[in-house]
Amino acid sequence: MSTYAENVYLPKVAILDRVVSEIPEVKTFYWHFEDPEEQQAFGNFRPGQFAQVSLFGVGEFPTSLPPSPTEKQTFFTVRQVGSCTTALHQLAPGTKFAVRGPYGNGFPMQEYYGKNLVFVAGGIGLIPLRSCIVYALQNRDKYDRIQIFYGAKTPKELMYVPALEEWGKAEGIECHLTVDCAADGWTGHVGVVGSLFKVPGVEVPVENTIAFVCGPPVMFRFVIKDLLGMGFQEQNIVSTLERYMKCGVGKCGHCCIGVAYVCVDGPVFTYQQIKKLGEDI
Amino acid sequence: MKARILKRGDVFKIIDLLRAQGYEVIAPFCGRGRDTYFDAVTDENRDEIQIHLPNPYYPPKRYVFPHIERLMKVERTNGDIHIEPTYREKKRAIFGIRSCDVAGINHLDRFYLGRDFRDVYYEKRRKNLFLVNVVCTDPDRDIGNECFCVCADTGPAARDHFDLQLMDLGDEFMAVAGTPAGEALLANAIFKKAAPGHVEKRHAILNEVRKRFKPGTTSWFSATVRYVSRGEILEKTWEEIGNRCLECGGCTYVCPACTCFTVSDRQVGPNEIERVRIWDSCGLGGFTRMAGGFNPRKAVHDRRNRRFFRKLAHYFIQRELSMACAGCGRCAAVCHGDIGMPSVVEMIRRATAEVDPA
Repeated sequence: MSTYAENVYLPKVAILDRVVSEIPEVKTFYWHFEDPEEQQAFGNFRPGQFAQVSLFGVGEFPTSLPPSPTEKQTFFTVRQVGSCTTALHQLAPGTKFAVRGPYGNGFPMQEYYGKNLVFVAGGIGLIPLRSCIVYALQNRDKYDRIQIFYGAKTPKELMYVPALEEWGKAEGIECHLTVDCAADGWTGHVGVVGSLFKVPGVEVPVENTIAFVCGPPVMFRFVIKDLLGMGFQEQNIVSTLERYMKCGVGKCGHCCIGVAYVCVDGPVFTYQQIKKLGEDI
Repeated sequence: MKARILKRGDVFKIIDLLRAQGYEVIAPFCGRGRDTYFDAVTDENRDEIQIHLPNPYYPPKRYVFPHIERLMKVERTNGDIHIEPTYREKKRAIFGIRSCDVAGINHLDRFYLGRDFRDVYYEKRRKNLFLVNVVCTDPDRDIGNECFCVCADTGPAARDHFDLQLMDLGDEFMAVAGTPAGEALLANAIFKKAAPGHVEKRHAILNEVRKRFKPGTTSWFSATVRYVSRGEILEKTWEEIGNRCLECGGCTYVCPACTCFTVSDRQVGPNEIERVRIWDSCGLGGFTRMAGGFNPRKAVHDRRNRRFFRKLAHYFIQRELSMACAGCGRCAAVCHGDIGMPSVVEMIRRATAEVDPA
């Protein structure tokens, strides 16, 4: 038989470098491929793409890629929620596991050149959007205004605090934070993410703007309502979906919603597309 | 296409020829009662092979997409991980595969080998597979009450995607090659030239057989495709269909065109793990349940809706240039709630008539 295409199901060995605790149950895992060529090939991923992580003996799970390709480092931020993520949380630095990817369409960041970018995230919804935010900041001259609206349940549950502080101080970016329940020492805004749009002095550009929305289903529904109310067009609201997935390459069938396989046709969809898929987010 | 004639007594010689070429030959056999099954041909069971019999419920798709298939072996030693993919590249021939199942395998080809990624495990099995299709010509034994290949346009005689096609003409069989590999086989001395009379006889038999299918069951098939594609079927109708689903997953396990699988790791030695893929079913509750418990398709009828949408929506038919329903009727035969494809088409037809009385 002649040569076969590469085996898409075959993960490549990766080594865990270090683990950073973000918020309760969520950690960031820095890693690299054992084979430097793999590392280089993988490094060309697009913001919004995802990877499949293998913990042999437990299983494989999809997870978004929070780094921007411009950062030249690879890491995952993962919440401990099922058996695979629990196994990942128990890994010690230096341990080998396996990764394959990147998969999915990703955000078309080049298509957004010249536009305003509004990022709206709730809780760990900031993880997939981190990639786009860092990408946009490192290509700052390519975009018009950049705004971040981010909310968590409590101040303790705000993700990527060092990055948030950096974005808060940086020039050319507006970073608005909120929490649902304040705690001692919190001097910022209190309320759901959508309430940030109504804070005096905050002005969200609607014309020539792309809104990135990512967060838990409840937050998603209300933010979409707010954005549509402000006059956003459905095709200018983008999000990334998560689904139960086994293969990541459009074969196993688990992530298919309506006519779309989230793994190959997504995970990034515009709200216009999501609405037509006909299933809960 | 080349047509050849061979004597009735020479039919099993095709199996001998294939076995001599190194093929493992799979053929259908009769079990007890209605039970029939595909199995590997040996010197002992060679004479028990059946030409005409009810199509086995366990579809021959398992020879390209097995129920459980190992994808890779992983060995862990001193913290190192060694991953080794495991392939099966043995030459295999299926003798006596029905036209619907040939269409099923064609659908799998379109699905697994099409689009952005190719499935290498499927590809290796498929490239080594030789298909000897037998046309369903015996109305009593070949054609079941549930068969609707005439509606799905896949039978009773497949038009393509086989290597060799055999059709029972009575005392003789007509053999038609569908690929160069099939044509090469026709060079053997057991095959004689066909006369125009043979071709006429073939047409006459096929015309007669087509009349022997149960009328009506899926005459609304194409209209259902249109309604499903447009999303014009009421939620109430899906609920009625869902209410009858016992969530056993049987329809998907017997389907020759279902493609979904799950992946699981299992420990096979102290430091050895194998990763396998196993047929999965969109009818089962856990199919879309994510870690953390959120399940976007919690209701039974949402999952039923999903199955029929995936099979009938025009978008997928166009994308794969083949429909994920081959008309074999297995789902109708095994479903305890009577919501196999023909019944669902009928329920949709009735519901539509209620909405819009003519």
